[in-house]
Amino acid sequence: MSDVRSEERAVRYYCTAGNGMEVFLMEEVKRKLAAEDVCRMPGKVLFSSSVEIHRVSELKTAERLFLLLKEDSPLKLSAHTSPAKATSLLHSRLLHDRNQWTCAVMTWFRLQGELADSKTTLKNPSAAQGVTMREEEDIKGNGAWVKFTTELSKSTEHQKEDKRRSEEPESGKHNGTHTLGKKRKREEEERNSEGMDPQVEKNAEESEKSSEVRTAMTEGLSSCGKNGSHGSDKGLLCSCTKLQHRVEGNRMDDTAALENVKTTEEEERINWKGCWRDPQLPSCISFRISCKCTGSLSRCLTSQEVSRVIGVGLSKLLGWKVDLKNPTVEINVNLSDDHCLLGIPLTRLPLANRTYIKTTGLRSTVAWAMASLVQIQPGFCVVDPMCGVGTILIEAARENEAVCFLGMDIDEGQLLKAGQNVSFAGLENRIHLLRASSLALPLAASSVNAVICDLPFGRKFSTRADMAASLPLILTEMERVLRPGGVLVLLLSPQLSCLLKKLLMHEDSGPSSHKEAEPQTGKQRCPSPSASPTKQQSSQIHPEIKSKPARAPEPQTELQPTASSLKHQATFRVSLGAIDGLIHKYVKTGS
Amino acid sequence: MKLLTHNMLTSHVKGVTKGYPLLIKATEVKVNEVDFNPQFVSRMIPKLEWSALIQAADELGQRQDLPGELVPEYEKNEDFLKKVHRVLLEVEVIEGCLQCPESGREFPISKGIPNMLLNEDES
Repeated sequence: MSDVRSEERAVRYYCTAGNGMEVFLMEEVKRKLAAEDVCRMPGKVLFSSSVEIHRVSELKTAERLFLLLKEDSPLKLSAHTSPAKATSLLHSRLLHDRNQWTCAVMTWFRLQGELADSKTTLKNPSAAQGVTMREEEDIKGNGAWVKFTTELSKSTEHQKEDKRRSEEPESGKHNGTHTLGKKRKREEEERNSEGMDPQVEKNAEESEKSSEVRTAMTEGLSSCGKNGSHGSDKGLLCSCTKLQHRVEGNRMDDTAALENVKTTEEEERINWKGCWRDPQLPSCISFRISCKCTGSLSRCLTSQEVSRVIGVGLSKLLGWKVDLKNPTVEINVNLSDDHCLLGIPLTRLPLANRTYIKTTGLRSTVAWAMASLVQIQPGFCVVDPMCGVGTILIEAARENEAVCFLGMDIDEGQLLKAGQNVSFAGLENRIHLLRASSLALPLAASSVNAVICDLPFGRKFSTRADMAASLPLILTEMERVLRPGGVLVLLLSPQLSCLLKKLLMHEDSGPSSHKEAEPQTGKQRCPSPSASPTKQQSSQIHPEIKSKPARAPEPQTELQPTASSLKHQATFRVSLGAIDGLIHKYVKTGS
Repeated sequence: MKLLTHNMLTSHVKGVTKGYPLLIKATEVKVNEVDFNPQFVSRMIPKLEWSALIQAADELGQRQDLPGELVPEYEKNEDFLKKVHRVLLEVEVIEGCLQCPESGREFPISKGIPNMLLNEDES
């Protein structure tokens, strides 16, 4: 047990990510976490890393973080599979290996402890008070850890007790569980009053200070590990059986689980022998299954039914208790024709929730991804000419210390919120705000290293009609202030993306130089995702432009020579919730 | 508005050819102590228009004894970097205006934020 905290051991995680964000997430885990075996599936990235959990929990492009419990080939069922057959398949595929489950939950507990530690010890001195408060809330939210520790101390006690009782000639298994429960409780009280188990008491006392708790837990675990390994096999097995009884006693109403006493006894003898030596888990773990089921399996069983099958199976297998409201662990099950993935969420709040942002604007994950495309270097000056509440600047400034950021917006109200956000995040030194129009930037030519901008789509702002007409001029301004070699990263609506491509099309004559990020990049030119043939695209784009009467074509012809120094680098399509956005990256060429 | 921002701003009024540096007319100036980051300051110095910074600091009476010419090997001169840090990041114009040196057009600064918007006929 001494290496239970070993940081060298790689842990396999997976993160969920917004559509199109997987490429950024893969890049990020490789770069920041030295991740290995990185692979992706739609909306998810799987990876192994041995860095500290708090660094994993600081991923910027991920939505939620999970400990991977099981990764398997998909369950493919034929059209004629009966529900009963499907159920037994689920059992044999997901519930045959109890060691896998217990090990995963052990790892989960360890990571929870480390996460709680890092949150209490890592206090950012420059952070605003509000940030600290929010972090504390989050610790409370992760209260499962403390709860676990308390439960663990109880269960350690139970295990010892049960072991002791197992030395009695007659095991309690033929007694009613009620009697057993009462007796146990009485004994527990007696022993507590006698103070027979200093270790347990120590645990309870210190359960407020998580760092110490963890030490205690490790000790507690090793002590029960010793008990386990020193006990005779026979006694041990009996104790396991009794443990099982006790768990049953806790939920008399669950008939399915009650059967367990009869059906699993024999299995217990076999299974527990193998796994007992390694993970010592509290037997009082409660859990909930969150299941997402698609494809052939879903035609046979609903997600709810699959949840029930796994839930009941897990109760039988491990004696854990179902608790839909406030479980110790949540097991996420994803079953489709493409994958079979089980995991346990590691944080209560999604990673995409930023504690340092007061007013949210653009999705922070997308904002971060845009900034990452610039590959900001120390000494850079980076401008967001339509900064809104400043999300992109904040995401970028947090990761780049020796960099000056200028945020501009035409709207005073937005700037006010941006100012509050910047000071809330403690970034006043690096982020400077001013009021200006993106059509006339108050900056000298060739003066900035990068321009990053989320062009308003007209969903939140009423500038939609103007934006298409203004785009050429905005682009000219951005291009003017950029230094040669400077980077332009824009987020646009599909419509504006088409317009932009059209504006700069003659420059895109060398498609070989394009680093197309997605195989479906070709589709990005279409305003509607349903229209795919290439020939239709131009005919669809045309009415789009013509519908802006005479204004768009005019600056377009003006623009062509001036914007020619922008060289297209890459396009990424990302989901912004209700709609998709397109991130374009350009580099200014020339001297 | 900090002087780092001022150092980058130009007047972009139509027809103006030399809209830099903008003159500062301050009615309220604040000096806030800010964490000193020598790396940030020494990375920013080569990007600055030094004479414009000195002129602005002079206008606000915050020049200290900063030289008119940038000193060599400033990266290693912590005392110098601290003075530049003060001028760049600690001095802040809260109320006042910026004036275009050529056209005389004034851009108001309110609550620390300069308003560089132009009227339609100016751009």
